[in-house]
Amino acid sequence: MVEAFAVASGKGGTGKTTTTLALGMALARRYDVTVVDADTGMANLLFHAGLADAPVTLQDLLAPDARGPDGAAVDVADACYDRHGMRVVPCGTSLAGFERSDPARLREVVAELAADTDVLLLDSPATLASKSAVLPIVLADRVVVVTQPTIPALSDALKVQEYAASYGTGIAGVLFNKVRGDLGSVGTQAERYFEGPMLGSVPDSDAARAARDAGEPLLAHAPDSDAAEAYRAAAAGIDPEANAASDVADRFRSAVVPDRP
Amino acid sequence: MTGEGASPAAVPVRDRLPRGDLVGARVAADFAAPLASALADELTGYLRLEPGDALLGVGGSEAVITLESGVPVLAYDAGDDADGPAALAALAGTTPVRVERYRLPADALDPLHDPGTDGTEPFRVAPGAPARELAGDDALAERTREAAPADRRAAGGDHDALAAFLADEERVEAVRREARAEARARADEWGLGDQLAE
Repeated sequence: MVEAFAVASGKGGTGKTTTTLALGMALARRYDVTVVDADTGMANLLFHAGLADAPVTLQDLLAPDARGPDGAAVDVADACYDRHGMRVVPCGTSLAGFERSDPARLREVVAELAADTDVLLLDSPATLASKSAVLPIVLADRVVVVTQPTIPALSDALKVQEYAASYGTGIAGVLFNKVRGDLGSVGTQAERYFEGPMLGSVPDSDAARAARDAGEPLLAHAPDSDAAEAYRAAAAGIDPEANAASDVADRFRSAVVPDRP
Repeated sequence: MTGEGASPAAVPVRDRLPRGDLVGARVAADFAAPLASALADELTGYLRLEPGDALLGVGGSEAVITLESGVPVLAYDAGDDADGPAALAALAGTTPVRVERYRLPADALDPLHDPGTDGTEPFRVAPGAPARELAGDDALAERTREAAPADRRAAGGDHDALAAFLADEERVEAVRREARAEARARADEWGLGDQLAE
């Protein structure tokens, strides 16, 4: 079985990468989880996952000749790192690597990953303004919408939902992140407008900042923090559906070629 | 908390705001720049904001945010007749916006900024709320909060503006409708039309 989720917000600064890794770690207690940094233009998952020195990344797989930094041929397994109970596929940040990469190859890479996992989490770009930025939403089965309790962030979250619906992608749920104080009526009010459930409310947390600085996922760095507990509760609200791995793989393979971000 | 006699809401701030000296005017693509420059200049006075739909002759509304040393204190929206956080909800997303900057002596604003006799402050917004709710700029919101007097830094009501926005069903549905239209238009533009669901 495999279900592909895009973790998306439509805007930056909502804590999407922290969320992707936190949900990934929590879901990894029940499922085989693979996390992919699908934000190839502004990759940052490698810093959150302690993989800043990863010798081979998604960037190398996206190079037309699929060769790593030392010129040797690389395959998907070379860019997969077992960390914190998950399989993590970081994306490099080198400009040369970015310019060399062929985004069309992302489909093949993700299709190959989908063949051998239960849950695929795609950390998606913080925008909806380009073809490659919406591709994870187009390809995923469902979207986990990450937002903050502000008008601009919630407006962008609604946009993510409508983009997803336009492509027939479902909503796995909505997560309020970086919440100060009590969410009050806002969670219930917002739920009326979303097609998926409210997954939870994660408090604004120094622990999340410290985890990022330490290059560790929050659930590894501060597992007893309130934020970590809130993420675990949110993950419990996500119930991955069993899809034939071949269906997901085919969908990725048949998807259109994205432009550069 | 409601006392006897006139509440501040019954004596509209908009009728009591003294006219300041116009020190600048521009059309801004978003709310971040005018709020950031007001903070940098430690402007005491007010911003008069004319939303984009009014510029196009559709609305005709205007809103005001008063400032003490660059830090927002009160907000009202004359078009939607909304005060405080609800005024921010009414203003959100209405860019481009024409912004006029007015300067006033601090003591001219004191009668408006002092809490009402019954303790209610319907026009008041948290110092960082305009940056957060209008500009979506967390860093600017934090800088603004830090610049506020100590007694205002812990201002509550963090989610009041969002609650007001979500209570306006027509408005939220308009955001969704526009997003759907945009998604389909862009899908065609990007050659993703065949990926669209029916």
